[in-house]
Formats: sequence, structure tokens, C-alpha cells
Amino acid sequence: MCTGRIDPQFVLKAFQSGADGVLILGCHPGDCHYKEGNYKALRRFHLLKRVVKQFGVDEGRLRLDWVSASEGEKFVEVITDMVATVKKLGPLTTAKEELRVG
Amino acid sequence: MGKPKVAFYWCASCGGCEEAVVDLAEDILKVVEAVEIVFWPVAMDFKVKDVESLGDGEIAVSFINGAIRTGEQEHMAKLLRKKSGLVVAFGACAHIGGIPGLANFVNREKIFDWVYLNAPSNDNPGKIIPQEKTQVEVGELTLPKFYDTVYTLDQVIDVDYYLPGCAPPPDLIMKAVEAILSGNLPEKGTVLAPDKALCDTCKRKTTKPEHASIKEIRRVHEVMLDPDRCFLDQGIICLGPATRDGCGERCINANMPCRGCFGSTSRVEDQGAKFLSALASIIDMNDEEEIKRIMDSIVDPAGVFYFYSLPASMLRRRLDI
Amino acid sequence: MQIRVGVYICKCGTNISENIDIDELIQFSSRLENVAYVKDQPLLCSEDGKNFLASDVAQEKPERVVIVACTPKEHEKTFRNTLLRADFNPYLFQMVNVREQVAWVTADKAAATEKAKAYIRAAVKRVTLHEPLEKKEIECNTDVLVIGAGPAGMEAALLLAKAGRKVYLVEKNSFVGGRVARYEEVFPKMECASCMLEPKMDEILHDENIELITSSEVVEVLGYLGNFSVKIKKRATCVDKEKCIGCGACYEPCPVSVRNEFDYHLSDRKAIHVPYTGALPNVPVLDQGHCLRFAKTDSAMVQEALDLGLITQEESENYKKQDCTACQEACMFDAITYDRQDEILERNIGCIIVAIGFELFDPSVLPQFGYGKIPEVYTGLEFERILSQTGPTGGKLFMKNGQEPRSLAIIHCVGSRDKKHKEYCSGVCCLYALKFARLAEKHAPGAKIYDIYADWCVPGKDNQEFLDSLKEKKNVYFIHTNLPLSVAVKQNKDSLSVSCVDVSGKENPLAADMVVLCPAIIPARDTSRLSEMLLITSGRDGFFAEGHTKLAPVSTNIEGVFIAGCCQGPKDIQGSVAQGAAAAGQVLSALVPGRKLELDVIIAEADENSCAGCMTCIGLCPYKAIMFDKEKKIAVVNTVLCKGCGTCVAACPSGCLTGKHFTEEQIFAEIEEVLK
Repeated sequence: MCTGRIDPQFVLKAFQSGADGVLILGCHPGDCHYKEGNYKALRRFHLLKRVVKQFGVDEGRLRLDWVSASEGEKFVEVITDMVATVKKLGPLTTAKEELRVG
Repeated sequence: MGKPKVAFYWCASCGGCEEAVVDLAEDILKVVEAVEIVFWPVAMDFKVKDVESLGDGEIAVSFINGAIRTGEQEHMAKLLRKKSGLVVAFGACAHIGGIPGLANFVNREKIFDWVYLNAPSNDNPGKIIPQEKTQVEVGELTLPKFYDTVYTLDQVIDVDYYLPGCAPPPDLIMKAVEAILSGNLPEKGTVLAPDKALCDTCKRKTTKPEHASIKEIRRVHEVMLDPDRCFLDQGIICLGPATRDGCGERCINANMPCRGCFGSTSRVEDQGAKFLSALASIIDMNDEEEIKRIMDSIVDPAGVFYFYSLPASMLRRRLDI
Repeated sequence: MQIRVGVYICKCGTNISENIDIDELIQFSSRLENVAYVKDQPLLCSEDGKNFLASDVAQEKPERVVIVACTPKEHEKTFRNTLLRADFNPYLFQMVNVREQVAWVTADKAAATEKAKAYIRAAVKRVTLHEPLEKKEIECNTDVLVIGAGPAGMEAALLLAKAGRKVYLVEKNSFVGGRVARYEEVFPKMECASCMLEPKMDEILHDENIELITSSEVVEVLGYLGNFSVKIKKRATCVDKEKCIGCGACYEPCPVSVRNEFDYHLSDRKAIHVPYTGALPNVPVLDQGHCLRFAKTDSAMVQEALDLGLITQEESENYKKQDCTACQEACMFDAITYDRQDEILERNIGCIIVAIGFELFDPSVLPQFGYGKIPEVYTGLEFERILSQTGPTGGKLFMKNGQEPRSLAIIHCVGSRDKKHKEYCSGVCCLYALKFARLAEKHAPGAKIYDIYADWCVPGKDNQEFLDSLKEKKNVYFIHTNLPLSVAVKQNKDSLSVSCVDVSGKENPLAADMVVLCPAIIPARDTSRLSEMLLITSGRDGFFAEGHTKLAPVSTNIEGVFIAGCCQGPKDIQGSVAQGAAAAGQVLSALVPGRKLELDVIIAEADENSCAGCMTCIGLCPYKAIMFDKEKKIAVVNTVLCKGCGTCVAACPSGCLTGKHFTEEQIFAEIEEVLK
């Protein structure tokens, strides 16, 4: 599995299921275990980011970053930062509650 | 035994689906001969109480077109559901929300503000906005509740089959009618159209290169469109690869790209996201700044990718309003 | 429908149980839909633990298994194998990582327990959607293609041949030995390069398992590990190697004399020639590019140029095809025939080793060194030829005027360790610069030798000693400079002036008769072409990218394709030979005669009934594993080439591609449950 496998549907599914943020972490560009899956992820991410914004999901709730298996510190940094960002934004209006007919 | 009873109803729609029924041409005579129409507001004089007086399940099949965006539409859909053996969501709006579904990028307040107050063609000095209840001399007048969100038919009632398309093409309608009349029906929940993407039958497929790669995205009015070449290969967004086949390429043949009215295939849950994924993947660029530039050149991505399917998408609507 | 799921929770000693409430997990898990039983174990990966798992699964006969333990990176394989022992399909199993992802990172026990519950809920749901996957095996070819017959390629070929493998050794030149064939002596022990190399070259020529294909290049590669088919273009050399005895009678009468590439244009050769005396195989090559019989220029063009006065009558003769048969007449063995055409050879093989060597950075890019303008400025490789007994001066250290130099400057780090050019250190230049100093001292006794260096890079067993021994020499002067080099070479009337600023900031004006540059080692010209053909990636420096810097130095991103020697990065002969041997070892274990090749099971699959042939996926596959079936007009995934990355699955706009074991359904279920 690879960031290249990330179907934008997964991200939307997570938001739909109540996630307040989605963080995608992959191998650095040029270092993809599967050659260039991360470039495909990068392309999808930038378009998806625009789309979720139109859905009223704050940009901070969706993030893509590159962390290699040896970058423990960066991993912690990115996670901590993401958690802080999402906490600041608060819970995402859960789709299920808002979408009862009526 | 009498002829099977059939109802037609329209909810949030443009009327095109009603036209589609008439577009059956001579075939409509066969339909009329085989069935008894018990309700069809656009064409025949029936009242709601006529429907209410029928027994539960007495209507063999109700064809309901249009999305659900008001209380009245919800009420009628539920009534027809109760009185019908089968309900067919007829056309894109009932099936996946359709064009009215694009209103899910805003809400009731914003719609009313624009339509009744801010649109330049308005002349509404009293700033009057429709109310559900209004007291007049003779009593209380009511209007149906206008919802914040547009719903697909199956988000409101149980739907047996779907006839996709804006509007459904006559051949698919006739096939559906024949299947219902003969009782030769597929599994419940089936979309009555081929379960492959539009490219399967698209004549332009032969011109598509095996290694599709796009370096610029263009809009239809910005280029002279080659009438034979794959739209995507011309850098034009065409939802064909993410859209169910069966329309007969009406748009493509008119040299316009597919906008996705047939919805996705059965294997895809969110048509817009899946198209986004495919399109982004074939943008032939690895430089992040260039990627951003190309993606930013798409003026209204969500509006294009969810042109017809916003209410049926995973997030369904804009979440922050 | 109920599916019988068995859940096993490992306490991992106290690693997991210390931070997660195991009893609560057991209670929680047993209440989940489909869970038939939950059991815990102190250490599931221990022998006792594995035996318990195997026997318990055999007894309980679950339909799915969830193991709540550590990272799948560590023990997924272990447990899959254990489950196989119980005759249980190992893909009907899902692992939950509550050690690295929960116990070790979530300090609060109650929070950790809640987190673990969510993961278990997701895994239990996911596993019910798993499908049993069966491993497939295919027959494979165990023959090997080795590209490049330098030290790395020769070593690989010989080792493989000795193990009984058929090897096709393709070399673009007419001789074997690579760059080393040009060297006189090698550092640090100043061994004679040809004495060192010749026995190996001889073995290459005579090993029955090696088919040496010289003057050739690989032009097409199709297929995958165990089943490659390649096309090799062999240039017509017009000399029958079976008949030729290598007597050399044919060069003398040849009327065409051109600069010899082997000597970097420092000497001349004939159109029919061997590049140097002693080249193996000892069979001359007729260079059709220069032979009068094969003159390529169109005669009408020659006439036009003559009419326009661009060339003289005499010159025009050189451009015309001539019916020269001088070499053929001189050959006593009828070995020369002119009607030879380039050939395309086809070979089927199972693995490929790429060992195409290196080139030098072109120092003329840096005008301050004067290379290409000042005649007595040489690159290291050119200097190797000057020092060689088979070279242009017969091994005498002479300048172009035939005189011995009285002074010589050797400049390190030309284009190396420089952000504007090559950022890396080539690693061998310091040592060959020292070798040059040693050889120059021997060949031109008393000459002053200036060694202009920036830092010393002389790791390894004997190399420091080598450096120290040169530091003792009175006529060898070491000048320590900073990077980027502040050195300028100018042509004066009698000699060259070399001005260089040393680390103290002092300018040293030196006079030298000869200057030798040590340019950065860069990838061979063919690197990018082969990279495209073989689909193997290159790093940002242009060398082929190894599978892993430390752990897979000769592997590539493509299974069955290995790299060795300087095409992977600059290195000395020892390193190249070691990599050649390593690559041979990789090949020997990747493909074993009589053993079938086990295919990945976690791969993509295209549903032929639902594919509309939109071709979105075709160009996305980094392994070129998706083919477009032109008749059926659908995409087809090659199950051998597919590595299961899932890029195509994510992109398929109508959902016809399935990523086995990572289906949309399975992933959706996991996402939904973990967020419940």
C-alpha cells in the first residue's frame, strides 16, 4: 500500500464518518517505495483540497506531508501540529446529524 | 384483473423528465394501453385526495422525478411510497439530486436572500420573503417548508429502481416499463442502465491515447473543440469515465463533454471524488507548484465534479452553513 | 449471516498489558458482531505462543482471525505462516497494532484502551470482508543478462557462469575490461592493472556458460522477473571472429587514419583496428563510420559542396564511397567480409544485471581550468592513457611535444562537492591522484609534483598508508585549498601557470608543464536510456537508484533487475567487484532452476465485464503492468508485474479495478468503524 492507493473517497468517507481532520503521510517525493505513487497522491491532494473547501471543510482539516520511516521526530512534529490545528478548529459539523430530512 | 395502476409525479425538477415520457412518441400509446394512469399532475386532472383514497400498495408503480427540497415534495413522495408496490426514481434529480442539488453548496437563507432580495432583477421594496404561514383576512395561508438541503429521493423514501439521466432516454424508459409490465425485474435497488462507464460506447474512445496525460485544463468556450477527439485528451473536463453509460452520448454527439447526469457505476460511492481522482492522476506533472497551478485553473471543481450528484455524494452538502 | 471471527490478544510481555486494560478489551471484543471467541496470550510470537495459535485455530476452526498485537511490519508474516500450519488461509487474518500505535504512544491507560477498542472494532469488521487469496506460481527462466563487461559486470558474469547459469554478457565496446582496461597501475598497491585483469578477461572469453556479445547494446526489454525477453543490437564489425586469429595484418594497409577514442583522441588508429594492443577479444573491428567503403555522405551533397567551393577536390575524395579492399586482401584467413549488416539478437532471460560504469564530468564547463583550450591540461582518464604502456606514448610520460614534463599539477575535486555542479564526493579521486603522483615521480624523476586538494578522502585498509608514503616524498608538494576551488590555469609562453589560493588565503603561483584534473565521476551516457527501457529509477544525481542505501545496494525498484559498479554511484574497483558479486548472489537466490516463482497475491485486478476501456489506469502504472487489450478494448493487469501499489485502483473512475486485500469495501469498513 502506498499513498498512491488513496482514493479521495477515503478522505470523504472519513469526514462523513465523523473525522475532524484527515492527515495523509507518505514517502518523500522521489523516495516512493512504489516509484511514484506519492506524486499521484500529491496531484489528487491539491485538487481534493480545493473541493473539500467548497464543501465548507476548513483547509487545515486535510493535510498531506512526507515523513520517511526514519523521521521519528518529524512524525511526532507533524502529528502534534495537526492535532493542535484540528483542536483549534473544533469538531466538524457532523454530516449525519445535520442531514436528517427536514 | 384490471390494468396495473401507474402514477407519475414531479418534485424539484425542470419538467424535462415529463417531456421524456412524451418523447416516447408512438410508444406512449402502448404504455397507456397497458396501464391505468391514476395520477399525473402535469398532464391529467387528478387530486391528491384521489391518491389518498387508494389502498396501500394499490398503485403498481410510481415514477417520481425531481429531487426533494420542500415539505410538500417529501409528503407526496411518502404518500406515493405508501400507495405503491414499486417506486422508480425517474431521472437524475430523483436519482442523485441533479442540478437542483447544486443548491447544497448554499442554504435556504442564502437562496432566499438572492432570489427575493439581492438579485438585480428584484423589485421587492418591502423585503418580503416567503413564509410557511401567513395570516390574511380569510385565515391562515401556508406554503410548504423550504429545506436547507436538497435530497435524493432515496434519502427520503425507499426506492426500488432508478432510471438515470437528465432526462432518461426513451429506450431506457421503454425497457424499464417493459420489465415492470412483464415482471422480469432485476434485483431491488438496480439502476436500470448499463453498469459500465460512458467511454465504453463513446465513439471518441478510439482517439484517446493509451497514456493519457494532461498539462492544461481548458473550458469549452476557450478552445475550438475537435468533434472527434476525446475531450480529456483536449484538456476538457469530461465526466464520461466516471459516469454510467446508457445515454446514447447525446451531449458528446453535440460536441459537448459529459457532465455526469447518469451518476456513477454501482461500484463507486462518490462520483465526484472518483472523477477527481482519475483526472488528477492523469495530470502529467510532478512539480508541486505546477500541480497547484493546474488544479487552480479549474474554476469550480466541486461544481463540475458534482454537477449532478452533490446530494448523493458522501458529504452531500456544504457543511459550514 | 454470521462469520465466525476468532480474536487473539497478545500482551507482549507487559508491553501491551501495562498500558491497555486487557480484560476490558476481551469483554469489548466478545460483544462485537461476528466475534465467536476472544483469547489472550502472554507472548504470541514466542514458540509457545505460535504453537498455541496453530493448535487453537485448528481446534476452534474460525472463519476469520484477528490478532491484536504489535506492528504487522514485525509479525504479520510470522502469524501468516503460523496460520498456514493450522491449514488456515493467511489472508483471512487481520492484525491490529496496539503496541506501537497505542500502548507505546498513548500515556493514559483509559484512553489507550478506548483507542485499542476502536482499532479492534475496525479490524473485526474489515476481516469479515476478507477473501481467501491463493498464491500462484509460474515457471521461470534462470538465464541472466549482464550489461557491461567492466570489473563489476565481469565478476557477476563469472560467478553466475560458475554456478551453472547461462549468461549473456553484452558490451558496447569491442573489448572487455571497461575503464580499467585503460589503466596502467591501480592504487594503493600499484598493481599492474592488465596483469590483474587479464586472467578474468580470459575466463570470460572461454567460459562455456558465457556468451560474450561485444560491440552491442540492448535495445528492447520486455517482461518481468523470470520472464524477460530482450533485443540486442550487434553492430556489424565485418570481421569473422571464428576465422580471425588476431594477427593484425589487416591494420597496416588500411588507408584511413582517425583519432583513437580508446586513447581519448591522444593517438591515431586505422578504420580497421583493435583499440589497444592486448584488447580482448583479440579481434579487430572495422569501423564503418570511417571505412571508405561505408562512407555515409550522399554523393550529390559532396558534389554540391565541391561546386560551392566548400571542399577541395582532394577532400571530396574522402567523402566518396570507395571500393577499398585493402584489409580484406591482407587477411590470410578470409575473415573479413564487407556485406555484414547490424544484427538484432533476441534472448530470453530471467534476471538482468546492469553494470554500465561511469563517465567523467566535462571540465571544459569550468573555464578556469583551461581544459579543451590548453593542450597540456588533461583529465584523469587521459592521463591514465599517457601512463599506459599501450597508450599514445608507449607508457612514457611525455607532453604533446614529446618532452618529459619537469613539473606537474594534479587538481582534485573538479566539479565535485560543488552545489553548482556535482554535490557529491566521487570518493576515488584522492587515491588516483596519489597514484598519479607516484607514477609521475617514477616516470619523470625529479619533476615537481603539486597536488592541489581540498580534503583527503582515503578510507580503507591500505589507503592512509599510501597517502602517508607520498607525504614523505620531497618533490611532491601538497597544497590544501578550500572549496569551491580557487584555481586558475593559464597558458604562458613556456609553461602553464597555475595559481591557487590555499586555506590560509595565500595565493600560490605555480608553474607546471602539465596539469591533470580529477573531475567528478558522473553516470554513463546510457544511464537514462536504460533507466527508461528497464523502468528503473535514477536518483537526483543521475545514477541508478538502489533499492535501499544500506540494505539493498544492488537492487532496484524493478524485481529481477540489479545494478553493480559505478552506475550505482562512484566507487573503486574493489567496490565494483564486490557489487558485481553481490548482484550475482541476488540473482542466484531470486531465481533457482527448478523452483517456480511465487507471485504476489496482493495485487490489482481489472474486472473485464465492467471495464469501459477509458485507459485512465494504463499510463499510471509505474511497473507498466497494465496493458490495453486492443480487441476487447479493456485494461488487463499483468499479475506478475503488478506490485500492488494501488495507484490504478484509486484512479479507476468507474471502480473496475480492485486492489486485492485492500478493496474499497474493506477500507471503507475500516474507516467507518474506527470513527464510530
